Amino acid sequence: MSVAEIGKWAATIKISWNKLLSYKLNLLLLVIGPSVVFFFVKYSLWTAIFQLEGIEQLQGYNLPDMLKYQGWTLIVALLGQGYNSMNLAEDIRLGRISAFLVYPFGFWSFQTASFIAFECLQLFTAGITLGALFTLQIVTDLSLVALVAGLLFSILVSFFWYQTSYLIGLMAFWLEETWVLRVMFLTISQFFSGAVMPLEVYPEYLQKLLMWTPFPYLTYAPVKIFMGEYRGDIWQGAGILSFWLGVAVLLSLAVWRRGLRLYTAAGM
Amino acid sequence: MIQCRGLGKDFKHYQKAGGFAGSLRQLVRRDYQLRSAVTNFDLEIERGEMVGLLGPNGAGKTTLMKMFSGIIVPSRGECSVHGHIPFQREQVFRKKIALVMGQKSQLWWDIPAMDSFLLLQKYYEIDDRDFKKRLAELSALLGVERQMQVHVRKLSLGERMKMELMACLLHRPEVLFLDEPTIGLDIVAQRSIRDFIAQYQVQHKTTVILTSHYMADVEALCQRIVLVLGGEKRFDGPIGEFSSILGLEKFVTIAFGEAITSDADTYFQDFDPHWNEARTRVDLRISEADVRRRGMEIFERFPVIEFSMEKLPIERVMNELLVNPHLLKRAVT
Repeated sequence: MSVAEIGKWAATIKISWNKLLSYKLNLLLLVIGPSVVFFFVKYSLWTAIFQLEGIEQLQGYNLPDMLKYQGWTLIVALLGQGYNSMNLAEDIRLGRISAFLVYPFGFWSFQTASFIAFECLQLFTAGITLGALFTLQIVTDLSLVALVAGLLFSILVSFFWYQTSYLIGLMAFWLEETWVLRVMFLTISQFFSGAVMPLEVYPEYLQKLLMWTPFPYLTYAPVKIFMGEYRGDIWQGAGILSFWLGVAVLLSLAVWRRGLRLYTAAGM
Repeated sequence: MIQCRGLGKDFKHYQKAGGFAGSLRQLVRRDYQLRSAVTNFDLEIERGEMVGLLGPNGAGKTTLMKMFSGIIVPSRGECSVHGHIPFQREQVFRKKIALVMGQKSQLWWDIPAMDSFLLLQKYYEIDDRDFKKRLAELSALLGVERQMQVHVRKLSLGERMKMELMACLLHRPEVLFLDEPTIGLDIVAQRSIRDFIAQYQVQHKTTVILTSHYMADVEALCQRIVLVLGGEKRFDGPIGEFSSILGLEKFVTIAFGEAITSDADTYFQDFDPHWNEARTRVDLRISEADVRRRGMEIFERFPVIEFSMEKLPIERVMNELLVNPHLLKRAVT
C-alpha cells in the first residue's frame, strides 16, 4: 500500500471520528448505553430465572457464573458486532453511493476505514463497560493473557461481522429490502454462537458440527477465551473464522462487480 | 475529448396494479418491462467546451451524465472520456473528473465543509501548498470564507451548493459534470453560481457538461446545446441556431394602457399570443421580416404604452418544441 493510499485510509478514519464526535448525547449513549441495557435486561432476566425457578444450577452454570458469561458476551458483542449493514443497503437503494463511485478511493476501502474508526470507539466503550462489570464483581479474575487473546480474537470476529454485513448490504443491488436476510443471519448466529445460551446446552453432535461453521467463534469462543476457559484450539478457531472471512471477502468482490452493473443511481 | 457512439441504457422495471389485490398478484407474477432511457446516442465534445444538455424530466439527460461519469454501466454502445472508458472507473479517470449533483449532497452533513475538503485533499492527493492556495481562491471567488467551519446542515442551500462546487473543483478536474447545479436556489444565488462557473471555466479551460432546467443557466454559460427528448438526441448545435429552430422570429412584449377585448384575438392569433390575466400585456412571436410593419400596425390600432423586442428566449423555444416535437424533424443535425 502506497503512502498516498495510507493517507486516504487515515483521512477516512479521521472524518468518521469527527462524525461520531459531532453529537455529544449520541456519543454518551453509545458509550454508557450497553452497560445500562445489560443491567436492565440481562442481569434482571437471569436473576429472575434463577430465583423464580428456585434453581441453583443450569447446565453447570450457577447465577454468578451465568452473569459472568453474559457480561463477557456483552463485551464480545461490543467488540465484534458493531457494524450494521442497514445503511449500506439503503444507500445503494436510494442511490447515495454515487459520490463514492466518483472519488478516487475504493468503496470497500471507504466502508472498511469507517468500520475501523467505529471499532476504535467500540474498544473504548468495551473498556468502560468492562470497568463497570469488574467494579460490580460480575466479571472477576481478569488475566492479562486471556484479555489480550480474547481481544485479538474479538477483533477477528468484528472483521467477520463487518464483512458479512457488507455482503448482505450489497444484496440491495438485487433486493429492495435486505433486512430479512440480516435478521435471518442474526437470529441463526445468535442461537449457534452461544450469545443466547452457552453451547454446552446443545446436543454433542450439533456442537461438533457447529465447530466447522463460523458461528461458535462469534460469541462462545471469544467469551470462553476471555474467561480463560476455552478448551479448544484457539489457532484452529481463528483459522476457521479466517477461512469464512475470506469466503465473505471473495463473495463481496464478486457481488460488487455484478451488482454495480445493475446500479441505477436513483434520485440523482 | 468526450466521445460516444450508439450509447444506450435500458432500465428494467415491473408494473404493479394499485391496491392490495395488485400487491398480492405481483407476488406470483410480475410483468417486467424494459425501458430505454437513452437510445443510440452519438456525441463528440472537444476539450474545454461548455455544453448544455437540455430536455424535459425523464428525457435521459441525467442518465447520460451518469454514464459519462462512470456511475452506471451502459447497456450498449461506446463511451470515452478523455481517453478512458468511464465505467471501468480507473483511479486516473476518477481524478480527472468531478460531478456536482444539485439534488444530492456529497458533503458530510454532520461536520463542517472544511473536514470534507481535508478528506478530499487526501483522496485526490493534493499537496498542502496547492490545497491552501486553491481553497483560498475558490472560497474568495464564491464569498464563503467564513462558512467553511460551519456544519453543513446549518448552511443555506446557496451556501451548501457553493461548498459542493468547491469540493468538486479542489483537484482541478479536466471534466466537470454539473447536474442541475442551481436547482432550488433563489435568483441571486443562481446568478452568483452561474458567474462563478463561467469565470472558472474561462480561467481553467475545463470541459463542462451542464444540465439545468433554468434556461438562464444554459443561455449564460453554454455556447453549444444538445437537446435530448425521449432518450434521443434531437438537436446538437450552437445556441444561436437553437433559437432559430422555430424560424427567424422576435419575441415581442407589448403593454397596453387599457384591457384589450377579445375582439382583437383574430388580429393576434397568428403570433402565438400569451396574455396576462388583465389582458393589459401580451407576449408575441413575430417573424423578423414582418416585425417592423406589424409593430407600426399595432401602435396605430391599440393603446400601446410599452413595446419591447428581443430574440426568441430559449425557454420559449423549448416550450414550443416540447408541445410540438415534430418541429424538430427539420432541425436534427
